Amino acid sequence: MDIPALLKSIESTGIATRIRESSYIFPFIESTHVFGLAMVFGTIAIIDLRLLGIASTQRSFKHMASDLLKWTWAAFALTAVTGALMFSTNADVYYHNFYFRTKMLMLVLAGINMLAFELTAGRTIHRWDKSSSAPLAGRATAFLSLIIWTSIIFLGREIGFTTSRAAVLAPPPADLNFDNLFDSIPTGNDSPGATPNKK
Amino acid sequence: MNQFADWLSTTYPSVFIQNHNGWAIPIIQSIHIVGIGVVLSSVFMIDLRILELGGMDQTLRQTTNRFGPWLTGALCVLLATGILMVIGEPVRELITISFWLKMSLIVIGTAIAGVFRITLRKHEQRWEEKLVKSKSIKWLAVFTFLIWVGIIVLGRLIAYDKVWGSWSPATK
Repeated sequence: MDIPALLKSIESTGIATRIRESSYIFPFIESTHVFGLAMVFGTIAIIDLRLLGIASTQRSFKHMASDLLKWTWAAFALTAVTGALMFSTNADVYYHNFYFRTKMLMLVLAGINMLAFELTAGRTIHRWDKSSSAPLAGRATAFLSLIIWTSIIFLGREIGFTTSRAAVLAPPPADLNFDNLFDSIPTGNDSPGATPNKK
Repeated sequence: MNQFADWLSTTYPSVFIQNHNGWAIPIIQSIHIVGIGVVLSSVFMIDLRILELGGMDQTLRQTTNRFGPWLTGALCVLLATGILMVIGEPVRELITISFWLKMSLIVIGTAIAGVFRITLRKHEQRWEEKLVKSKSIKWLAVFTFLIWVGIIVLGRLIAYDKVWGSWSPATK
């Protein structure tokens, strides 16, 4: 199946249509997404800071991981479901959006980074479980994890700024000159609502 | 408030943020979300300990000593980035019911956290031995977490204040 047709069929599903037609459902889904990602980021950061030897240094890593990671995964599932629902409402636009694509790439990198931890420091936890920080490989993946997840937050926020209907259908500047339309359209300006230089 | 918002939007810092809208607002909002993650997970960790669902290798005091300062620090970051957002987009923020409901819940959430830390410091033994096991404290922990979740939802709803219908000043 070709991609454009697939995106169109996602957009035309009953659930996507239902969300688009309501003015309440999308904000509710987006709020749930923010709640989920706050939990994902916060709990991952607690683990990363433990690995780096910055906080919770007295605690057993194993104990912390078994306390926390189930909540991380539950919250991640929530963000995946709400994210997929938001995607479905405007699949074609999100699919072609630079920030969306980069965010998906960063999520893959986060997965690879997690795998890298499991294959290195994750194999020797019994040796450093009670030490104040993980071995170098563990600290490196923890540091990368913080960078990757922070960038995922930023990229996600940029998606909202570059795909919303407000951004696509920005209202014309108040002093738009209809007699000389092309002169009054802002050119090469990075701020969408900026007033034109020329009138 | 309308007049104040209009005036604020003409001041130099506000104009600066408006003119650098392409990166300023997304970056400030991203830092704000990172702060939200720290606040929510810190409250969550203390609540888990009270509910005896996690951190049982630590005393309540150890748990609040670990997460309390991060909670306070992140709240300061949220206040600073929040003020910048209000300066950058005064009308969008101040002329909404979501914003003011959010501020009210923040006052309640912060007050609960403050009172909790003070009483824990004063009556440490009583908290560790009795209070932490009491039903009402456990319910308070759940309630507190829900307040912070509500704060997050209201924060997002500032952008969609019209969901409040005629209650929202943005629709007038």
